[in-house]
Formats: sequence, structure tokens, C-alpha cells
Amino acid sequence: MRKILFALVASIFSFSAMAGGHADWFKEAGAPYKGTVLQGVAENTPPGQFAGEVLAKEFEKLTGIKVQLENTSWDQMYDKAIKDMEANSGIYDFVYIEQDIVYDYLNRDFLVNITEGLANNPDLQAPGVSLDDFTTFIDYFKDGSGDVFGVPMEAFIKVYLYRKDLFERADAKAQFRAQYGYGLTPATSFDQYRDNAEFFTHFCAAEGMECWGTTVQGHTGHPASTYEFLESIAPSFGLYNWGVNMDSYQSCVENGGQLNGGRAKAALNFWTQLLPFAPPEALQSTWSEVGSSFAAGRAAQGWVYGENAAWIATDAEKSAVVGNVGVMLPPTAPGVMTQAASGNGYIGYYDGGAYGIPHSSKNKEATMLWLQYVALNEHQADWAIAGGRITHKDTYADPKVMAVDEQADGYFTLMRDTGFLYAGAPPFPFHGAGRGAIDPFIYSALAGEMTPEEALDGACQALDTVMADLGYQN
Amino acid sequence: MLSKNKTGWLLLSPTILILGLAGLLPFIYVLYVGFFQWNPLAVDPSLQFEGFASNYRRLIFDEVFLESIWRSIKFSVVTLTIELSLGFVLALSLLSSFPLKSFFRSVHTLPLVIAPIVVGSIFKLFTVQGLGPLPHILKDYFGYTLNYGLNADQAFWMIVIMDVWHWTPFVTLTLLAGLSALPQDPYESAKIDGANNFQIFTYITIPMMVPVLIVVIFIRLMDSLKIVDEVWMLTGGGPGYATRFTGIHIWKEVFEKRYYGLGSAMSILYLYITIVICWVLYSVMVARGKNEE
Amino acid sequence: MLFVGFYTVSWSQGEKMKSKKTFSKIGTTFLWSILTIITLFPIYWMVLVSTRTPVELFGKPDLSPTFFQKVHWKNFTKPFLDGIYADYLFNSIIVATSNAALVTILALMATYALSRFKLPGSESIFFWTMTNRMAPPAAFLLPLFLLFSTVFKFGDFTLFDTKIGLILLYCVFNLPFAIWLLKGIIDGIPKELDEAMIVDGANLFTIFRKLIIPLAAPGIAVTSLLSFLFAWNEYLLASTLTSVYARTIPTGLSEFVTTTGTNWGTMAAVALVSMLPALLFLFAVQKHIVAGLTFGAVKG
Repeated sequence: MRKILFALVASIFSFSAMAGGHADWFKEAGAPYKGTVLQGVAENTPPGQFAGEVLAKEFEKLTGIKVQLENTSWDQMYDKAIKDMEANSGIYDFVYIEQDIVYDYLNRDFLVNITEGLANNPDLQAPGVSLDDFTTFIDYFKDGSGDVFGVPMEAFIKVYLYRKDLFERADAKAQFRAQYGYGLTPATSFDQYRDNAEFFTHFCAAEGMECWGTTVQGHTGHPASTYEFLESIAPSFGLYNWGVNMDSYQSCVENGGQLNGGRAKAALNFWTQLLPFAPPEALQSTWSEVGSSFAAGRAAQGWVYGENAAWIATDAEKSAVVGNVGVMLPPTAPGVMTQAASGNGYIGYYDGGAYGIPHSSKNKEATMLWLQYVALNEHQADWAIAGGRITHKDTYADPKVMAVDEQADGYFTLMRDTGFLYAGAPPFPFHGAGRGAIDPFIYSALAGEMTPEEALDGACQALDTVMADLGYQN
Repeated sequence: MLSKNKTGWLLLSPTILILGLAGLLPFIYVLYVGFFQWNPLAVDPSLQFEGFASNYRRLIFDEVFLESIWRSIKFSVVTLTIELSLGFVLALSLLSSFPLKSFFRSVHTLPLVIAPIVVGSIFKLFTVQGLGPLPHILKDYFGYTLNYGLNADQAFWMIVIMDVWHWTPFVTLTLLAGLSALPQDPYESAKIDGANNFQIFTYITIPMMVPVLIVVIFIRLMDSLKIVDEVWMLTGGGPGYATRFTGIHIWKEVFEKRYYGLGSAMSILYLYITIVICWVLYSVMVARGKNEE
Repeated sequence: MLFVGFYTVSWSQGEKMKSKKTFSKIGTTFLWSILTIITLFPIYWMVLVSTRTPVELFGKPDLSPTFFQKVHWKNFTKPFLDGIYADYLFNSIIVATSNAALVTILALMATYALSRFKLPGSESIFFWTMTNRMAPPAAFLLPLFLLFSTVFKFGDFTLFDTKIGLILLYCVFNLPFAIWLLKGIIDGIPKELDEAMIVDGANLFTIFRKLIIPLAAPGIAVTSLLSFLFAWNEYLLASTLTSVYARTIPTGLSEFVTTTGTNWGTMAAVALVSMLPALLFLFAVQKHIVAGLTFGAVKG
């Protein structure tokens, strides 16, 4: 934590150095827009806070353009951005585009084409900023012809975290072998994952420790649980794109979909059967609580969003397991890895977001400068340390980042080397509506009110109804 | 000087203006949208007319929606019953003197000033597994497992308890105000006639308090039928549908699924039901008032 | 007709009923003690949480009053000194007090009109004002957003993200309630009194100043308290209709729920601070509450 704070402080004081040789250019280019106030809306995340508290302040000093970032909750952020763009009210000059909503926005033509905008205004093209510097994550914010509509500002992968201290305990190893007949290691298959979960739940209880075998992001009233199932569990069982047939937009097996097929049911069965081995708060856990539970030492292993990996491993003020965190790829069903490597599947969620400019913005040029400022290579390392996110290829090699990487058991390296196995959300322009239809069934399956089979049969019908309602099923 | 009626309308005009612009206009808009199919995420994101009242026809068969209404009504009746009985007992007790009375009364009014969203946070903090003390206390001392992420009944009753915690003080104070304003004569004659406490309570206090009770029911009903903030914070409507009250259901349809048309129709239908219930109460109130004049 | 005298019924009259009390003193005190514990326990826990670091919140909940030994002040200083929560607090104060004042004035005027002039349809007007409070909010946010951001537009000025917008909007919810509260009380002031004043040549303003306001004081106090509380506590509308400049304290609370963990300590600290002004207001008008809350329902 001290390191992070130091980096924050240092970056504030050395802003001109931070903007590297490009400070003068931004100063000059920003001059015509001096006094403009840019307003943005984003989910309150550590990278967002860094942008709002550090980068925005530097940018204002340099150009006289004030950047007001409204950091709010996830559901509010969507709602307000969509309302603004829908009503064309021009409140926001830039909006946070989470990867999974980008297709909704592109479909409605809410966003300014940044590639085109820069090409048409060469004066606005900042030196030192190239869209080619970004990792492949930027591809999610491109349209069919490769034009960019959003400048990535955060990206993570959902990884498998485990407690090194627990997995390395000699007594645990011995007991595990005696009980299960093979060695105790972090899980690479679902059976092993289940065994580990079961084992540590009993082991912790016997030792009088407040810990359980696995996390489950299983809130029974919040979409976070649907996301864990659709984005992480289902794909690692080989069920992609929510089981929706991408040609006919049907999701039930009877109509050519797979959401209630064998893989989906196997995945949901596996996942709900983990609940006895999860801490009791699992059913009230969104992504917020899963990170907190793991940081509190209440779980031996689990699927955890990457934005949490770095702070859980390094920040002693918030985490009780600093230094004991192991990072790996999550287990997958046989064949899934091959499919993911060949681009025909994925093993989990490549998660993140970008800043985009709504057509309704009244300050597009100034915003264009701001987004390029955010994209400057110079900022990336400190930003990565403050927020655990990486969007540029070169950031991985930065010494400061590599130091954190070491503490975080190679999370960044893992992201660099295996990021291509992950994927963003399926390209559905009806993302929110579709997921909202599935939610109640996942909640019911988790609460034990429905069997996984019943839940998925119901979910696919509800999803099909939505896709029919909204006119996607021809 | 202006004519009397003109003065009256003049005095009313700012109220009518504000309520018209910020109350009636949105209502008309929602009513209008309710006749259309409209979802900005659809292939055709514009308003589409698919036959008169297409949304309403759909809603009549929408089990989830109808169940949510039933759930909201059940919730309101349950909380009202508890709050009224508890509030009545407490208000009566406040008429007598006992040690530390003003301290107790001050503490009792405390929840009244707390925002619903904060009440939700306080209860979540207090009752959530893994962080709050309540599950631990119940487990250690009573062997009872509290996990309203799993147990539908617990979730429902947890919201009831939260609402009772939050709103009983209001009921107590209003009933106390009513009790304090009761005329004393009937009590004195009853005493002379030798009535006992129970008889006095049933035959004098309760009948005289009926108007106040109706007012309290009206106010609490109006607010509890549209409960959202606290539930959103505590359970999000789960587990499953267990605490998906109509307010939450509409919220999810409109904000998450973006069914603007259908959600608007739901709001109108639900508003209509609320108004009918309240109108009945209001008519009783007005009728009683007229009888007594 | 009800006489004003009843609103000032002193406690001594209630005390007389004491002899008929159903509860023994011990029973009553016991009941109230339990109730007080139930009321205070969750709040006490919130206070504890607000003084601890995230790591200290892990594990078995520690109910001992650790704030005597150590307070994690960062939970308070970070949002209020380093952050923008001081601004939110200021916005809340402006919005809630202005709204309470506006609502009380408008409601007094409206109630007087409804009470004194036999306006055609006044009963329906009264009920209609109440229906404004009954609407389930979610679907109404969209038209309100449109009104605030695009329809009511004066040059570059819109009501979106302004304090004045919230002040006006909250009238929709507070006015009906205020009118109801005050109507019973103003109905209780004998008409003969204002007629006598009119004969003496008093104008409407004088009638309000010399007669209505003094006699309706408890009702006015309660009206302004309840309006203030509603405006102070409102979450949904404020979070949709404000962005940066007019955000209020309750909307700020949702910012602590983030993808990287809910910041319970800071959230509890902000919630705690947000309760204080409302508490102050409550205690300032406490002595009027019982006299002012009758809604005119008890007819003498």
C-alpha cells in the first residue's frame, strides 16, 4: 500500500515529467478549449479514481480543461449514461463503456467514431499516442471496419486465486492424500476443485479457523451471480455465448440453442454443489464481497476478478492474506483449452472498460484530447500499480509493474501470456435485457428453490422470449 | 380585493403548478408510453404500437408481476399489523409515567430520521453473514442459522423487521398525538359507571381512535406498498423472488431489462391499485368526518 | 368542530389517565429497555464499523467498544476532508432546508385555501395531491429525467444536476403530506377568528402572520420536520437527476459499493455523519411533535 500511495503522491508532483515530452503539445492543443468543463460518468473503480484524482488534475493544470468525473455505482452508471445518450441531452462528454455493454451502444450508434474523428482532425492527433500500443483488449471497442469507439482504461482477467499458505501446509497435504488418494495441489480439473473445496471446509472447521473451501459469487438478488455463471463457470465447461445460437438467436436446445443443454446443466450443477463448501456469505456476495471474503482469508480458492488480485496480494490495510496469494488459470473441462487457444471458445471473462464519447457531447474535440491524454504511455505503469489494470502492451515490461507482479504471484504475467484465452461478453446488443431475464432462474437455483435443470429450462425460455420481444429472432 | 374564490385559487396555484409540472406531466408521459412496446435495446428502438393495451393484456397473465403485487400487499398488511399493535401499546404506555421515559422516547424516535438507504446499509452491516454480529449471536446462543441469501422466509421477515424497526416510531408518535387529543369526558363518565380498564379500552379508546388509525394506515400503506431503497440494499429482491416487491420488480424491468413500455404499464396498473385501496380508506375517513359535523 | 385548545392539551391530562394504566411501571420500563436495546444495537454496530479498518472487520464480529482505544479516523477524513463529501453534505443541507421552507409556505397557503374557501372540487384536489406520493418511482424516473435535462430548458440552463431542481421536485412528494398535516390544524382554527380580523381590515398576509401561523405552530414545526427528513433522506430521484454539482449525501453512499469490495468503514462513517443534521432538526422541534401530528383526525 505504501508503494501505491507513494506512486500516487509522486505522480501528482511530477506531472510535467509524467506527460513526458508531450506536455507542450497538450498545452498548445488544449489552449482553444481552456475553461471547458468535461463531464464523465463511470463506475467507481480504483482505476477510475486514479483517472479522476490524478490524471484529470494533471490534465487540467496542463490545458485548463477541467475534467469532472462522476464515480457512481455500477447500475447507476449504466442507467445514467443510457438515459443521457437516449435523450440526447448532452450531459456527459465521456462515458465509461463496460466491455459487455459496448454492443448495445454501438448498435444504437451512441458513440463517436474516434478513429475517424482523429483522421478528420489531424490537429487533434496527439504525438506519442497510438491506438496500436494497446493490447488486444481494444478490439472489443472496434466496429466491423476496425474503427475505435472507446479508449480502454481498464482491463482484467478473472483468475483462479488460491491460498498458498493453506495448500502448502504439511498436515493438510498429508490428510488430503489420506482422504482422496492423490496429492493436494491447486485445482486444474473440476473434480479436483470440488475435492479441494470439500477438504478445506472440513480442514478449517477442524482447525477452528474461519475459512471455507471456495468462494462463490452467488448473490441471490444481484446479477453478479448470473455473471459468474455465464462468464466464468459456463465457458470453462465449454458453453459459450450464453448458449445462444448466434445465427437464430435461440437459446433452448429444442430450438437449436444450448443454454439448457448438457454442458450448461453440468456447469450449473457443479457450481451450485460448491455452495456447502463456500463461506455462508456466498449467497449475499457480489463481486464486492467475493474479493473481501478472499482478502479476509475466508476461502481457500476461488474464481476472483482480476481487479482484486493485485490488492488482495499486496495491500495489508485491506487484506489479511498478503504474501499468501497464488494466481493461476482456472480449471477447465477437457478440450476447452484447445478451443480457446484456437479462437473457438474462451475460458473466462476478459473484463474491463473504455472511455467513449457520446454523440450528444458538446465538447467532442476537448474530450478527444482528454482521452488521448489518458492513453499516453507514460501514465500506464503508475495506473497499473494503483488499479491493477493493464491496457497497453508495453506496461507489462515496466520495472515498477514487474515488481508488483512478483508480489502478486505473477498476475500481470499471466494476463499477458494467457489473455488471448479469455474473451469479453458475447456481442449481444440486448445484453442487459437478456441477462435480466436469466437472473431470477440463477437466483432460484442458488437458493435451492429450483434444480439446476429446471432453472436452465426456465432461463432459456425467458431469454428466448426477450430475444423474440426485441425482434432479434427474425 | 379579489373575490373569495379567486383568492383561494391564487393561494392554491403554486401548489397546483408544481404538482402539475413535476407530478402530472410525468404521469401523462408514463401513461402514454404504457400503450407502446418500447425497449431501446431492441432491433427497432422506437415506440411501437401493437394494439390497444397490448402491455396490459400481457400483464394480466404475467405471473411474476401478479405475484409481486400479492407479495407487496402481504408485506404491507403484515408490517402494518405489527406496527399498529406495537405502536398502540407504546403510545399508551407513554401516557403513563415511568423512569427514564423521555430518554426512551428520544431513542425511539431515532430511526425516524435515518434515510431508507442508510437503514438498508445498517441492517446489511448488522445481519449479513461473515460481517454482521447477528448471525453469530443467533448461532452461538440459540443454534439458529440466519442466512437470508438462502432462506426465503428469513429474507421476507428480515425486511419486515427492518420496516418495523424503521417505522414503528412514526406510528407511535402519531397515535400518541391522537391519544393526547382525545376528550376526557367519556373516560370520566365511564369511570363513574364502574367500567374496568379493558372495557374502557375496547369501548371508548378504540372507537375514538379509529379516525387516527385510518390516517396512520393510509400513510403507512402508501409508503410500504412502494418500498424499494431498503430492500434493494439488503436483498436485491432475492433469494429468487422472495422479496421482489412490485417496486423492485418494476425497477428491474425498467432499469435492467429496459422494457420502458411494459414497465410503464406496470407502474400505471400498480398505481391504480394503490389509489383504489387508498381511495376506499379516504372515503371512510371523509364519511366519518361528515357524520360528526 | 375541533378547538385549538386541544392541540395544546398538556401532558397533565394524559397523566390523569395514568391511573388507568395497563402496565405496571416495572413492566413498562422493562419493555422500553428491550426496545431501546433493539433500536440502538444496529446503530452501535455501525458506529463500531465506522471506527475500524477493513482488516479489523474480518473474522468474528468484535462487539467491544474499541473506539475508546483506537479510531481509524481515515474513514471520516477521507470522504469529508480529502473527498467531495463535504460538498454533498452542503448540498443536502441547502436542498433539505430550502425544500422544507418552501413546502411549509406553499402548504400553508394551499391548506388555507382548501379550508376557508368552498372551492369546487377541493376534496378531489386534496386526494389528487396525495396520489402524487403513491406512484412507484422506477418508471417515473425516465419522464423526470427528460423534463429535467431537455424539456425545461432556459438557454443553457436545465434543472438537471441543480439544487433548485431537487428542491422543486421534492415538493411533489412533500406537499401532499404537508397539506394533509396542516389541513386538520387549520380546520381547527375557528373561521370566526379570521372573519373578525377581516372586519377589522386585516389583509391575508396579516391573518397568516398574526393568527394562522402562531396557532398552527406545532403543525408547522412537524410539517417542516417531515419535509426536511424526506428531502434529506431521498435517494432514488437524487441519484438519477444529479451528477456532480448537486449530489446529496444519500446518493454518495452508493459510491462505496465498488467492484473491489464495499468500503464498509467509510460507508458507515458517512452514514453516521449524514444522520447528525437530521437528528439536530428532530430535537429542535421535538416538543411540538405530539401536538402537531394529529392530522386533524380526532374530532372533538
